[in-house]
Amino acid sequence: MSGWNRSSRSRLGGRSNPPLERTSTTTTVRLGRVQPQAPSNRTIYCNDREANLPVKFVGNSIATTKYNFLTFLPKGLFEQFRRVANLYFLGISILSTTPISPVNPVTNVVPLSFVLFLSLVKEAWEDWKRFQNDMTINNNSVDVLQDQRWETIPWKRLQVGDIVRIKQNAFFPADLLFLATTNADGVCYIETANLDGETNLKIRKALEKTWDYLTPEKASEFKGELQCEQPNNSLYTFTGNLIIDKQTLPLSPNHLLLRGCSLRNTEYIVGAVVFTGHETKVMMNSMNVPSKRSTLERKLDKLIIGLFITLFCMCLIGAICSGVFINYKYYYLGLRGSKGENISYSSFNPDNRFLVIILNMFTLITLYSTIIPISLYISIEMIKFIQSTQYINNDLRMYHMESNTPALARTSNLNEELGQVEYIFSDKTGTLTRNLMEFFKCSIGGEVYGTGVTEIERGIAQRSGIKLNEEYTSDTVHDKGFNFDDAKLMRGAWRNEPNPDICKEFFRCLAICHTVLPEGDESPEKITYQAASPDESALVIAAKNFGFFFYRRSPTTICVRESHVEKVGDVQDVSYEILNVLEFNSTRKRQSVVCRYPDGRLVLYCKGADNVIYERLADGQDDLKKVSREHLELFGSSGLRTLCLAYRDLSPDVYESWNEKFIQAKSSLRDREKKLDEVAELIEIDLILIGCTAIEDKLQEGVPACIETLARAGIKIWMLTGDKMETAINIGYACNLINNAMKQFIISSETDVIREAENRGDQVEIARVIKDEVKKDLKRCLEEAQHCLRTVSGPKLALVIDGKCLMYALEPTLRVMLLNLSLNCHSVVCCRVSPLQKAQVTSMVRKGARRITLSIGDGANDVSMIQAAHVGVGISGQEGMQAVMASDFAIAQFRFLTDLLLVHGRWSYIRLCKVITYFFYKNLTFTLTQFWFTFYTGYSGQRFYDDWYQSLYNVIFTALPVVIVGLFDKDVSAALSKKYPELYREGIRNVFFRWRVVATWAFFSVYQSLIFFYVVTSSAVRSVDSSGKMFGHMDVSTMAFTCVVVTVNLRLLMTCNSITRWHYISVGGSILAWFIFIFIYCFADHRKSVYYVIFVLMSTFYFYMTLLLVPILALFGDFVYQVLQRWFFPYDYQIIQELHRDEPEGRRREDLLEIGNNLTPAEARSYAVAQLPREISKHTGFAFDSPGYESFFAKQAGVYAPQKAWDVARRASMRRTAKKK
Amino acid sequence: MSSNTAPSSSAGAGSADSAATRRSKRPKYSRFTQQELPACKPILTPKWVISAFMLVAIVFIPIGVATLFASRDVVEIVDRYETECIPLSSRNDKVKYIQTPGNKTCSRTLTVKKHMKKPIYVYYQLDNFYQNHRRYVKSRSDKQLKDPNSANTVADCKPEDKTNGASIVPCGLIAWSLFNDTYTFSRNQSEPLPVNKKGISWKSDREHKFGKKVFPTNFQNSTLKGGATLNPLIPLSEQEDLIVWMRTAALPTFRKLYGKIEVDLQQNDVIHVTLDNNYNTYSFSGKKKLVLSTTSWLGGRNDFLGIAYLTVGGLCFFLAMAFTIVYLVKPRQLGDPSYLSWNRNPGGH
Repeated sequence: MSGWNRSSRSRLGGRSNPPLERTSTTTTVRLGRVQPQAPSNRTIYCNDREANLPVKFVGNSIATTKYNFLTFLPKGLFEQFRRVANLYFLGISILSTTPISPVNPVTNVVPLSFVLFLSLVKEAWEDWKRFQNDMTINNNSVDVLQDQRWETIPWKRLQVGDIVRIKQNAFFPADLLFLATTNADGVCYIETANLDGETNLKIRKALEKTWDYLTPEKASEFKGELQCEQPNNSLYTFTGNLIIDKQTLPLSPNHLLLRGCSLRNTEYIVGAVVFTGHETKVMMNSMNVPSKRSTLERKLDKLIIGLFITLFCMCLIGAICSGVFINYKYYYLGLRGSKGENISYSSFNPDNRFLVIILNMFTLITLYSTIIPISLYISIEMIKFIQSTQYINNDLRMYHMESNTPALARTSNLNEELGQVEYIFSDKTGTLTRNLMEFFKCSIGGEVYGTGVTEIERGIAQRSGIKLNEEYTSDTVHDKGFNFDDAKLMRGAWRNEPNPDICKEFFRCLAICHTVLPEGDESPEKITYQAASPDESALVIAAKNFGFFFYRRSPTTICVRESHVEKVGDVQDVSYEILNVLEFNSTRKRQSVVCRYPDGRLVLYCKGADNVIYERLADGQDDLKKVSREHLELFGSSGLRTLCLAYRDLSPDVYESWNEKFIQAKSSLRDREKKLDEVAELIEIDLILIGCTAIEDKLQEGVPACIETLARAGIKIWMLTGDKMETAINIGYACNLINNAMKQFIISSETDVIREAENRGDQVEIARVIKDEVKKDLKRCLEEAQHCLRTVSGPKLALVIDGKCLMYALEPTLRVMLLNLSLNCHSVVCCRVSPLQKAQVTSMVRKGARRITLSIGDGANDVSMIQAAHVGVGISGQEGMQAVMASDFAIAQFRFLTDLLLVHGRWSYIRLCKVITYFFYKNLTFTLTQFWFTFYTGYSGQRFYDDWYQSLYNVIFTALPVVIVGLFDKDVSAALSKKYPELYREGIRNVFFRWRVVATWAFFSVYQSLIFFYVVTSSAVRSVDSSGKMFGHMDVSTMAFTCVVVTVNLRLLMTCNSITRWHYISVGGSILAWFIFIFIYCFADHRKSVYYVIFVLMSTFYFYMTLLLVPILALFGDFVYQVLQRWFFPYDYQIIQELHRDEPEGRRREDLLEIGNNLTPAEARSYAVAQLPREISKHTGFAFDSPGYESFFAKQAGVYAPQKAWDVARRASMRRTAKKK
Repeated sequence: MSSNTAPSSSAGAGSADSAATRRSKRPKYSRFTQQELPACKPILTPKWVISAFMLVAIVFIPIGVATLFASRDVVEIVDRYETECIPLSSRNDKVKYIQTPGNKTCSRTLTVKKHMKKPIYVYYQLDNFYQNHRRYVKSRSDKQLKDPNSANTVADCKPEDKTNGASIVPCGLIAWSLFNDTYTFSRNQSEPLPVNKKGISWKSDREHKFGKKVFPTNFQNSTLKGGATLNPLIPLSEQEDLIVWMRTAALPTFRKLYGKIEVDLQQNDVIHVTLDNNYNTYSFSGKKKLVLSTTSWLGGRNDFLGIAYLTVGGLCFFLAMAFTIVYLVKPRQLGDPSYLSWNRNPGGH
C-alpha cells in the first residue's frame, strides 16, 4: 500500500523511489488494459481457515521490492547488463583477460566496476526504501475475528476468508466483502483518494442479509460460501454470489471494499476478506508504466552507434594493416613459426595473415574500447536526477502558494525533453480555466435571468471597443459557486414572474436531479456538498439560494427545505422519494431521476446536453425550443457552460411497466450497461423543456500571458476540450489562443448536410456523409492554408475541429491531410473530443510529425493524452490526482509551464547537449591519440598509455567537471529566458545536438589528437635535457597523457557560459588528481615501466615547454572556431548575453522582495488554511462530461456505468470499430 | 485511533482531517536550488579575443626565439653508415654478409663543422626498428631483472625464455636483440678519443629496475644470436648499454645514447671512427646512423619546439591583427538585436 497513502504532493519520496509510485495507483490508468479473466471462479469459505487451506490463496503481505538479499547481486547485475554499453564493456573486459589483449584487464574492469558499483548502490538504496515501506505496510495492525474475539494481527498475516473489523479512518487491508456496519441502513462511507484521487466520499451498502454480523459473537456465527470471479485488475467490476443459509445472493462492486480505500464517517465495519496481497485489485493494477525515454537520448543512441561504426573502421584499418605488416624479416620479434604455438604467437604469425587480421581485430577493439564513453549514461542519470530533485522540485517560481503546491518532477528521464517541446496539448477545464463553476445565468420558460458579465464578454467587448457599464452591487448573494444576481428571481420574487410554475419545476429539478451528497450541519450556511463535478454542486447551491435547500439524502429519499412555494416566507420540509437514478455517462450526456412527490405525483427530472435533451422533447413546444436555443447560443458565446432541464410527468402504469424492464436490465449479467442505456431511452422521451442553466468557468491566473509567451517561443498550443465549439472558441479567444488577426478554419459536424443525413438515421450513410464532408473541408482548408503560407505576410492560421469530424479526419486516409493542415496552424482547437481522441491527436502529431509533444491536463480524461505525449504534465494541487499520477511532471498552475519549459527545460537541454558532445569529444580525442600511435607500432596494437591511465581517464581525471557543467551551466538567466522566449526555438530546432555540431566536435577531436600525438612525439625524438639521455616510450606517453588531461579539462571551461566556483574546483581538482595519481603511481611499483617517469619528466625543461605549448595549440583551433562563430554567426543566446552583459547576476531587487513576502510562514499558512474549505475537484469537458461524475451512489441503486477515462476511452474505441463494420 | 496513524508517510491526499497538520511545502531558498550561484560569465568580446591572441603572441614568440636559439646552438654530426659499411662486393646480399661471422670492421671519417663543447654525446640511431611492437615490448621480465631470486620468472619472455631448459637472464626479445655495433673514435688519426659509457642511463633505471646482484646467465647461448653478448661477471645494474636499450623507444625511429666523449672538439677536426658493423638491420632494411651531438639546456638539436612556438605565436599575432582590422572595418555591435534569428527572419522559420 506504499503508494496510495502517500500523497503525490509530499516530496518525501520524491524521485528517490519512483518505482514505488509506479507500483501504486499510477498504473491504474493504462489505457484499456484489462486483464482477461480466468474462466474459473474462486470459492471462499468465510470464517473458516481450514476449509480455505487446500486452495492456497496468496497471503496478504506484499513485496514491491525488486530484489531480495540473495537475488540482489545476480538480478541487479543482470539488469545492468541489459544496457548495451555495460554489456559491451563486459565483453571487452573478458577479452582483455586473454593474451590477445594489449591492455591489462584493469583498464576495462575498473571503469566498468565503477559504473556498476554506482548503479547498484542506487538500485540498492531505492529498493531498501521500498522494502522499508513494504514492512511498514505489512506490519499495520488489523482486528481479525478469532474465537469470538477481535484479535489484533499485522496485515501480512491476514488470510482469505477471515472476518475483520475496520475502524474509522483506517485503511482496508485487503479487498473485503462488506458485511456489517455500525451505521444504520447498512451503509458506510469510504474515501477512494488513493485509487482515483477523488476525495468525495462514496457510499457502500452491505447486503441486508448480513447486517447483523457486527459483534464478535454474532460474526463468529457467520458461515458463508463466497463464489466470485478470479482476481483481476478491473477496479470497478466485481461479480459473485454469497451463499448463506442455502440462499444465493448476488454481489456487485458495491459490496466490495477495496484495499487502499479508507473508512470515513463510520465507527467501524465488519468484512470478509476476498482478495489478499498481490491479488487485490489495486495491486493487480500496479504494472509498470512504460518508461518514457527522451528524444535526446534516442539521438544519443544513434551517436553511440556512430561511435561503434567508427570503432569498427579503426579496428579494421589497423587489423588489415597488421596483416600486411607482419613479416619474418622483423627477426627481433622472434617470429619463428613452430616454436610458440600460442595465441600470442598466432596474432603475429606471418604464415597465417588471415588469422593475424582476425585476432588483431579483437586486440584493437580492446585497445580502442575507450571510444565508447562508459560513464556517460551514469553521468547523465546523475545530472538529471539532481536537476529534477533539486531544481525543478525546489523552484520557488513554480511554487503555488494558494494551494501550497511545489512543482514535482515525477521522472527524471525527461528534463531535456522539456527544452524541445514544439506542441502543447492542453486540456481546457481545470487547466486553462479555473475549476471554479459559478451559477451565472439561467433561462426559464423562455426568459433570461442573471445580470452578470463574463470575463469573456468583457474580453470580446474590449477587442471590439465597446464599453460595458458594469454595476457591481455589493449586497448580491455571493455564495461559493453562485455568482448570480437578478432581483426577479431572488427571495421568492419568482412567484411574480409570468410563469411561476415553470420556475418551481426548474428549482425542483435543480434540487432533486443530481447525485450530490450533503455534508455537515443541515443549515444553509454550514452545509457543504460533495459532488463529483463542480457544476453539480453549483446547481444545487443555486437551488439553495433560490429557496429550495437540499439538506439530506438517504438512499431512497431526498429532503428539500422549500421556501416561498405557497407564499413568500413560508418554509416547509418536503421529502421526495427517489425511485430510479439514470446515471450520467458520456454517451448519454444526460441524467435523470424518477421521483415520487409526497402527494404521489410521479415525475422524471432530466438534465443534460442541449442536443440530447432536444431530441427527446415532446412535440409542440416549438416556440419555447426556439427561444431557449437562442439563449443557449447566447450563453455559449459568452463562454458559459449550459445544461438543459426538462421533466416529464409519469403515470403509475407507465412507470410500473418501465420499472420492470429497468430491474431486469439492472440484474442482467451481460451487457448490463448497454441494456440500462437502452431502458433509459424508453422513459426519457416526451420531455417538457423547463429551461437551461449557464455556469461560468473562470480562467486560471496568468493563462493568456503564458500562452502568448509560449507562442513566442515557437510552441504551438492545441486546446483539446469536451466543450461545445462556441465555448471552446471563446475560451480560445479569452486566453489568446485565437485572435481576430488569425484566419480560422472551422470544420464542424453541425452543418446542414450532416444534420440532414443524421435525421435520416442510417448509420452507414451518416458515416459516409460525414467522411465526405470532412474530406471536402480538409481539402479546401489545406488549399487555403497553402495559399496563405505562400504569401509573405499571410495571416496566422487557426483550426477548429469538433470531435465527430475529428473521428473521421483521424482515419488513415485523411490523416495526412489533417496533419498537414494542422501543422501549418498556429493554434488548433479540438472541441467535443473524447479522452481517446485526445490521445489520438497527440500521437498523430508525435508519430506523424515527429515533433516533441507535451500534454497538460488535470483530470482523469486527460490521462490517456498525458501518457501518449512525449512529456505529460499534470496539474497538481487540486483534488483529482489521476492526471498527476500518470504524468511526468506535476505543476500547480498552467502558467508555470513558462518556467518549466523556458527555464528548466531549456537549460536542461543545453546542458545535456553539452555533456553529451563533450563526452563524445573527450573519449574520441583520447582514443584517437592511441589510434595514431598504432600506425607507429607496426599495427601491433601496442598501447600508448599505461593501463591505469586509461582506466582512470574516464572515471577520475575527466569525470567530475562535466557533471558540474551539466548542473551549473547557464547561458542566460532565468529572467532573460522568459523575457526572450524566442530563445527556446533553438531547442525546438535542436540546434545544439545536430550532426553538424557533432561533426564539429569530431573535427576538433581529430585535430587535437593529432596535436597531442605528433607534437609530443616529434619534440621528443632528440635528447631532452642537457645530460643527453633519451626518453622511452612511457616518458613520452605520460607527457602526452598529461597534455590530454589538461587540455580536455580546459576545453570544458571553454564551453561554459557561466563559470562558478565549482567549475574551478572540479577542473582544477581533476588536473590535480592526475598529478597526485602519477606521483604516487610512479613511486608505487618499481617493476612498472612507469617507475619514476614523472620525476624524470619534470626534471626537464622539455616537460614545461610542451605543457605550455600543446594545450594552447590544441585549444587554438577550438578558440578560433568559437570566435568566428560568435562573431559572424552568433546564436541567439549569445546576442542576448551580450545585450545584458553588464546586468548583475541573479534576481532583481523586486523579485527578492516578492520572495521575502512569500517567506512568512504565517502568511503561507493562512493562505493554506483559507484554501481548505474550497472544494476544487476535477471536471471535464462539456457540462457533465466527466467520468468522475458517475458516482458510487448511483450504483447502489444497481445502475452500473463505466467509470474512468480508460474505460470510456476503451469503450469509445470499441464503438468506433463496431461502427466501421 | 492507532490504526489511522499506521503508515508513516500518509499525507492523506487532500483529506480534510490532515488539515490541522498541513505544513507549507514551500521550497526553501538556496542559491543552489534556485540556480543562482554566483558565476563569472565570460563573453568572447572582440577586446577579449584580441587581447588573448596578443597575450599568446607576446609569450610565445620570445619563447620560440629562445628555444630556436638553444636548438641552433647544438652541434650535431650525423653519419649514416649501414650501406657504406658493407663492402661493395656484398652489397647485393647484405643480409648474408651481416649474418656471416667474421670481422666487419668499418671505418668512417667525420669532420667537425663547428666547435663542439664537451660533453659530446654519442648516439646510435635506428630506423624502422619497432621497439614498440606489442610482441617486443611485452617480451621482458622486470622481476627477473631486479631480483636475483626470480631468475626463473620468464613466462613473458617467449620465445627467448629458456635455452636448453635453463632460464636466460636477462630473458626476452628486447635483451636478446641488444644492439651490438661498437664505435671507437680518434681525432686526426692519432689522438684517441675515449668514450665514457658510465652514466648514460637514467638513474632510476640503474638503481631501481636492474639488480645489483643479477648477473647475465645463459645469455645469447642459443643457436640464434640476436645481438650483443653481456659479460656474465658484471651485474645488470652496471650493464648500461642494456639498460639504455631496455628503455624501449616510443617510435620506430629512435636514438639511444652510446657514450660520452669528454673533450671539446674543434672546428675542422677530423674524427675517425672505427666501427664494428655487427647489428643486423639489413633484414628489415633499417637504417643505422651514428650521431655526435652536444646539448643545450633544452637537450639535443630539435628545432621543432621552437618552430612550433614561433608558429603559434605568429599565428596569434596575425589573428590579433586580422581581428583588429575586422573589428575596425566591419564592426559587429555587441548585442545587436538585428542578429537575433526572430528579427532576421520574422514570421517564423
